[in-house]
Amino acid sequence: MSCSNIDLKGYFLAEIPPAERRAVERHLAACEACRQELERLELTRTALLSVREEPVPQRIAFVSDKVLEPSWWQRFWQSAPRLGFASAAMLSVAILVHAFTRPAPVPPPALDRAEIRQVVDQQVAARLDAAVSQALAAAEQRHREETARLLAAAEQRFELQRRADMVTIQENFEYLLKRVNVLQVASVYREGEP
Amino acid sequence: MIFREVEDRDLVLQARTGDVEAYNRLVSRWEKRVYNYLLKLVADPDDALDLSQDVFLKAYQSLRRLEDPARFSAWLFRIAHNEAYSLLRRKKPETEVEDSPPPARPASDMLPVETSIAVASALRRLSPDQREAVVLKIYHGFKFDEIAEILDCPASTVKSRVYTALDALKQTLAPIQRTGGTARKNLH
Repeated sequence: MSCSNIDLKGYFLAEIPPAERRAVERHLAACEACRQELERLELTRTALLSVREEPVPQRIAFVSDKVLEPSWWQRFWQSAPRLGFASAAMLSVAILVHAFTRPAPVPPPALDRAEIRQVVDQQVAARLDAAVSQALAAAEQRHREETARLLAAAEQRFELQRRADMVTIQENFEYLLKRVNVLQVASVYREGEP
Repeated sequence: MIFREVEDRDLVLQARTGDVEAYNRLVSRWEKRVYNYLLKLVADPDDALDLSQDVFLKAYQSLRRLEDPARFSAWLFRIAHNEAYSLLRRKKPETEVEDSPPPARPASDMLPVETSIAVASALRRLSPDQREAVVLKIYHGFKFDEIAEILDCPASTVKSRVYTALDALKQTLAPIQRTGGTARKNLH
């Protein structure tokens, strides 16, 4: 295979299939010119990658940050009291529907009507109390779960940030160390010059 | 890689179900690379920071439209590319002035900082299309088909841009790196 038939840059960039890679490797073993060309490409990549990545000057705002908060109705809908609100609303609707759809009662004696109203009031009050208690308990439970989840998430985020900071610190330290070494060696080298 | 215990794909799927923390982890994971990519395109730290913020917000808002969550990074860089070019089009008269690069320095024993300057200068000599293709390939490690997706052009065009750019960069940077390396060895 001649030099013009091989895709040396494709090989260098790992963009050719394995069979073609093997063919290029066989060619490289026999061709000094292509080996030198490959070396130049490697030197070019080394130079390009010697440029350090810039740190982000300011943290990119998370979608959970204050500036990106949802609107008030979204917050309400996602909040704990929504269960209580929904339960109370459903109970009210049920009472209204029942009131308008029940068959017309036969007028009872005056004494019975007063007793019935008392019983109905007691039952409605009892059911309301139970519904409100249930809604409150559900809301409190949800609130507790939400708090625990947020705490866990915050801890996780802090841990990730801490690890990222440690990596950055280590990189900076290594870079400074290398700079100091280079300066020291250059200084020694220059002192030795005539 | 310390942040690879969970794949991007899993975080995208979690974020789609409303898990904001999952998306925050994606931001932490990609913010530095997106910022540096934008910095190489717009060459202004403030613009790059503003654009990075816009990119992550837009990505969050349209996360449900991402067809393949495993290709999150290419999709994110596609958004970044669009945002950067949108800004560059708005600021075109200013950026056109910067198109004359300083003369190349002769190959010599260079310190790391000087190499950085030489690299920046060599990159500026490329056309914007070639420069972006090289940045995505060499600095971010994308495959040709992913770069084609980001730049919305055929993979053959990407290949051609990268190959031409490498030829140009090689002329300037390979001698610098070779003599720099040799000189450093001599110092030791």
